[in-house]
Amino acid sequence: MATVLLPGTLAAEAGGQKRFELDAGTVGEALRQLPVTNLLFDESGELRRLVNVYVDGVDARGGRLLDEPVTEQSEVRVVGAIAGG
Amino acid sequence: MAVVLSVGTRKGLFLLRPGGGGSGWDVEGPLLPGWSVYHAIVDPRDGVLYAATNNPFYGATVHRSNDLGKNWERAEEIGLPEESGLKLNATWHIEPGRDSELWLGGDPGVLFRSDDGGLTWEVNRSLLEHPTRERWQPGAGGMCCHSIQLVNGTMYIAISAAGAFRSEDGGGNWRPINKDVAADFHAEKYPEVGQCVHKLLAHPAKPERLWQQNHCGVYRSDDRGDNWERLDGNGLPSGFGFGLALDPDDADVAYVVPEESQEYHYTSQGRLGVYRTADGGKSWELAANGLPERAWAAVLREGCTFDDANVYFGTQSGSVWTAPQGVSSWTEAVRDLPPILSVEAAAV
Repeated sequence: MATVLLPGTLAAEAGGQKRFELDAGTVGEALRQLPVTNLLFDESGELRRLVNVYVDGVDARGGRLLDEPVTEQSEVRVVGAIAGG
Repeated sequence: MAVVLSVGTRKGLFLLRPGGGGSGWDVEGPLLPGWSVYHAIVDPRDGVLYAATNNPFYGATVHRSNDLGKNWERAEEIGLPEESGLKLNATWHIEPGRDSELWLGGDPGVLFRSDDGGLTWEVNRSLLEHPTRERWQPGAGGMCCHSIQLVNGTMYIAISAAGAFRSEDGGGNWRPINKDVAADFHAEKYPEVGQCVHKLLAHPAKPERLWQQNHCGVYRSDDRGDNWERLDGNGLPSGFGFGLALDPDDADVAYVVPEESQEYHYTSQGRLGVYRTADGGKSWELAANGLPERAWAAVLREGCTFDDANVYFGTQSGSVWTAPQGVSSWTEAVRDLPPILSVEAAAV
């Protein structure tokens, strides 16, 4: 069961739940089980440009992103990209 | 019945209600924190509160509340078909329609309809595939469909910068209605489409009369948009502005908030000035009693509204002002909110 952590705005949209334990083999499988998938993915099914995902502290955009493998011990953290001043 | 103001800001939604004893306003919020609320409206048919919500990270959507903001649901399906090659950039304006219809305008120049109370939204294909679309351009705020008016079975929409359009068949076909409306920024000054409408309203009691605050002037039409008359040489310090309000009891009355110019988006002549016409735009008078004489404020396109009794507007500096129709004097209902994007009034 990978652990997925959501930031405040997304957690509010998920009924106040910040932490999810999910049975998933990849980042994509984990994110698509969340109750906020239409906020993470656009209408084409692409991860929104300013949504960053870290697997055990490593930016998944530097790896295989949605295909990045996760294990039962993985912590997947969703973070809005730093933008602006 | 009491009035409630839905004030959309860059940092969530605020609800304003007249305070006890008739003095001041009670402020509830921020609701929907983290979301920029481009527009929010209480549906007069059932009291449901809808908000066009946008977030720089998580996209554009619509929220609805059955209990005036205590609990919220988010739209389940909203977006553009993949074959269009377009993506939904922002949700801008929500307008209740006939029967169960609910309409939503968005960027890039798109219109949606919902028949299930805003949970799922179907794009209007006729507008999406409009033959003039390739001649549309985004304004500074994106290519937003920001005005939706439904009067006696006729629909009007306005898009910046595509112009105004009319439909006689519930959105099945859209006809451009931009004759004699200037597009000074365009190679062709009076094109068929491409005008930068900032706000369009139809008078509720005289449906053939339309008003628009445009990037290039203030206009009135008395024939449902077939012809437009430019009105801003008659006492207005500038033809540029965004906000527009009307008087339901007098079709000759309109209010605008001129800005200095398209280059300087703050109030004209360094004062917060609302201008009122009572003769259909033949002349305009400053109606600013109670407003600060020195102010470089800005009022956005959804920032003005009205009801039978009052006119309201909100500024990007976070103040909401109210005045009775006719504007004897303005009162600051609340100040120091986040930058205000929209104001709507409803009786609940």
